[in-house]
Amino acid sequence: MLRYNLKLALQSFKRAPSLYFLVLLTLSVGVGLLSANLALVNAMAGDPIPEKSDQLFHVSLNTWPTDRPPAEPLHILRYRDAKKIFESDIPKHSAVFYASGVYARDSKSNSLQRFDSSVRATTSGFFALTNAPFAYGSGFVKNSGMEVVIGSELNNKIFAGKNSVGETLELDGELLTIVGVLKPWSLRPLFYHATEGRAFNLTDDIYAPIETAIDLGWSIHARSSSTDSNNGVKFTRDLNVFYLQAWVELPKEADVALFQNYLNNYSQSLKEVGEHPLDTRNELRDVNAWLLEQDIVDQKILAFTLASVLFLCVCVFNASSLLLSRFHSAKFEVGLRRAIGASNRHMLIQGLTESALLGIIAGFTSILLSWLFLKLSIQFLPDLANLAILEPKLLILGMLLALCTAISSALYPLYRANRYAISAELK
Amino acid sequence: MLKMNNVSRIYRNDTIQTHALRDFSLEVESGEFVAVTGPSGSGKSTFLNVAGLLDGFDQGEYKLDGISVHGLKDNELSKLRNEKIGFIFQSYNLIPDYSIFDNVDMPLRYRGFSSAERKRRVKQALEKVGLASRANYLPSQLSGGQQQRVAIARALAGEPKILLADEPTGNLDSLMARQVMELLHKLNQEGTTIIMVTHDPDQAREVSRNIQIVDGEISDFRIYAPLQSLEIDPVQPTEASLKSNKEQEPVDA
Repeated sequence: MLRYNLKLALQSFKRAPSLYFLVLLTLSVGVGLLSANLALVNAMAGDPIPEKSDQLFHVSLNTWPTDRPPAEPLHILRYRDAKKIFESDIPKHSAVFYASGVYARDSKSNSLQRFDSSVRATTSGFFALTNAPFAYGSGFVKNSGMEVVIGSELNNKIFAGKNSVGETLELDGELLTIVGVLKPWSLRPLFYHATEGRAFNLTDDIYAPIETAIDLGWSIHARSSSTDSNNGVKFTRDLNVFYLQAWVELPKEADVALFQNYLNNYSQSLKEVGEHPLDTRNELRDVNAWLLEQDIVDQKILAFTLASVLFLCVCVFNASSLLLSRFHSAKFEVGLRRAIGASNRHMLIQGLTESALLGIIAGFTSILLSWLFLKLSIQFLPDLANLAILEPKLLILGMLLALCTAISSALYPLYRANRYAISAELK
Repeated sequence: MLKMNNVSRIYRNDTIQTHALRDFSLEVESGEFVAVTGPSGSGKSTFLNVAGLLDGFDQGEYKLDGISVHGLKDNELSKLRNEKIGFIFQSYNLIPDYSIFDNVDMPLRYRGFSSAERKRRVKQALEKVGLASRANYLPSQLSGGQQQRVAIARALAGEPKILLADEPTGNLDSLMARQVMELLHKLNQEGTTIIMVTHDPDQAREVSRNIQIVDGEISDFRIYAPLQSLEIDPVQPTEASLKSNKEQEPVDA
């Protein structure tokens, strides 16, 4: 019976192609626009590391040395505070890092072309903590040494995507050996650096040991605060210069309490020796709490998404109105089919099959329109470039939305069609 | 086959109520050919709609093939319509963009038959009405008489217990009407029970039984002699109609 109902649906489309095209277009535009917005919201509000987002904690400390502190505990730390964190054996993994940038080239290359590359100067625990995916090699083991891990994009640019482990990069004039190459890696949002409007940046090009980066004087490419004057990152280890971010992995709840206690004790000990006058207030926030705190979901996008939902409702009403006129004009056939033995249930299933088929076609069209809407969004708002991506789950959601809206549009017309008197149109 | 006892059908609106059928009682035996006549608005179509389960009734009892239809659910009524009743309408009611095969196949689709069984039944029904070679034609490619024969084939395909015909020749010229009537008589002689609403007294006289409805009631009850004992004057075709018939209805091999 399904095949027969599908055949009837296709015949119905052929009978009124303009009307069905309008219904299709109406639903596709509504679903496509909403899907495009949901893709943006999904990228903004999604969990970037669902397998352990509740086990990773951002560390904020209240160790500002003067009595005019920032309103909240700082998300950036001094070198010696950060060192206290990565020296602790309570976390399973910890990562302390800052963002920098260098020009990179293959040291063996005859070309002098250098690539402007973002750098994450980090402790070695970063890779295990973030589940960074390796294509070749592995992370560096020590926090110092002339070794680096590079991202897939840079590897493509410099080494054409080949296994470049063992190759040497010239980074701002220094030679560092590649020990690992990452697979293409996208984190949306970029939870480990969600501050300063970077939540939707790409992952970094180069990951270098933190001590090496400091020793080489690779400058800080992110927010820093200081109560001491300084002559560059090379000289920050003993100064009140706040620029490092810290994350820890605490799989057990007991460890969270233990580590919180460890931080509080550390902060209290500083207070007792007069290094800071503030109340002890240190915070651990897991990934999603941290992203929520950073308010990374653009309120304008949320408002536009709500408007898209309302627009989709209008589209459904319009489609329903068009289908009502279509079903009304098919009263004769409905009456005839009922007369020769089709039950209300048969007619309902036939109508739903037609709507479902329409929904599937609308699903494909709406995915295409979503893609176009996203491309158009990037033209107007280039900041959305890393967000405007239709993930497979969004494609499925788009299809389901189209299916649901097509069926909902047909419900009232079907209800009305099933209430026609059978004999009314038959003579 | 069909038994109505004191069946009433009342149509109501805000201001008036109309007794379309009033204490209507009728029994039709298996194999009968009954003609229903009466003036316009007398209740003939209402009777046929109630008999065909296209419309309900307010009072009384109605049994079709021994089954009381009162209180049956929609799917049960649909099943009864599909299995026991074949409808023939004045306007043929064929779906214009379906082939003849697909039109005749329609009721079988709701019966759950296999594809092979449906093909066999459609072919058999079309052979009965002499249109087997036109299975792939569209209704618009056939004459009115042929279209009505397709409608008869559709009614026959499900091998119903009873055929309900509502002025089956009302839209046909006399020659085609004669052919359709001959087909109906042939089917009746083969055992099919037929109830036919007609305005044509000649057609009414040809059948085994004639009832007249006036104001929703049976006003006169007369039994005519069976068809085979009547001497029916065959319609003399004119030269023009013969020519037209030849063009439109080549004889099936």
